[in-house]
Amino acid sequence: MAMFLASGVAVLDSAEAEIFGALDDRFRRIAEHLGARPIISPAMLPAELLTRLDFFANFPHLALPVAMYSEEATARLAGKEGGVPTPEDALEPTDCLLPTATCYGLLMTLRQREIQTSRLLTAIGRCYRNEKVYDGLRRLRAFHMREVVYVGSREGALEHLRKAGEQVRDLARGLGIELDELPATDPFYLDEGSRALLNRLDPVKIEFVAPDGTALGSVNRHRNFFGERLGIEHDGAPAYSSCLAFGVERWVHTLIRTHGGAERALAVVHGSS
Amino acid sequence: MDLRETRNTEVDEIVAWIRSKNPDLEGDLLPGTDLIETRLLESLAFLEFVGLLEELSGEPIDVGSLSIDDFRTLDRIAERFL
Repeated sequence: MAMFLASGVAVLDSAEAEIFGALDDRFRRIAEHLGARPIISPAMLPAELLTRLDFFANFPHLALPVAMYSEEATARLAGKEGGVPTPEDALEPTDCLLPTATCYGLLMTLRQREIQTSRLLTAIGRCYRNEKVYDGLRRLRAFHMREVVYVGSREGALEHLRKAGEQVRDLARGLGIELDELPATDPFYLDEGSRALLNRLDPVKIEFVAPDGTALGSVNRHRNFFGERLGIEHDGAPAYSSCLAFGVERWVHTLIRTHGGAERALAVVHGSS
Repeated sequence: MDLRETRNTEVDEIVAWIRSKNPDLEGDLLPGTDLIETRLLESLAFLEFVGLLEELSGEPIDVGSLSIDDFRTLDRIAERFL
């Protein structure tokens, strides 16, 4: 069983770690099948680039800025009387934030580029989200997200998601996991305003949801938003992009829950490959 | 002013509104341009756009009964709402 070092911050035990590894092997195979090149995604994202992506306007509650202690605070902490951080300790910004999704880092690598042919990239990254409630491996503050991002033409972006959806359905079937496919229910899409209305008419994010309501992953169409904001050009115009995302710990949770224990879950994930 | 001229004036108003939201837009806005996929009709201004169509058509719009394709191009918008 996972242990928790802080609220929403888990340590997976050996059996869970093995399931995690075996599942990510499957996700990597899907990424390879979709034609993606693996890269290592950045552990932090520059605030300046996130600003260009309206991150702070859309997700201020998720932001986790990375900061250092000020010189004064460092001296106090290292001194004989100090040693214990307090909320009063002044911080100095690094101008970077912890990622909330892996695709940001992947898309940022292509910024200000004119691409002649489509690009497909994959990475697994640690992601961080502030939540009101944390719930085992289903809802963590720090977790892993593998993504497979497509950048290129509008048709290519749609085709990527069509193929990705097939792959996810096949994988879930092989692992004995029932999946529903539902339009996203993040707060981002749920207000009463314009975005919610347009998303009801034309959902851009579809989640793969397990019977207990856990969203295991999603496919997401960005239209040409990232192409325009990051200056990625394809065919003389802002590139279109789309992504497939897996919440890895949530798959671990669901596989164990579905098969009634880690040992059986491991046998299933090894036996289905 | 006949019906066609009225409709042209209304389409011009829609084009002017789209241009006001996309000041960098260069060239003509073609009747078949996909306004949704190109994000010329941005998600954050969608309600405002529906309001504009209600004003131009003089009738309330029940968005629940519509599909995204009804808003996709100038041609389709004119056919559906004007």
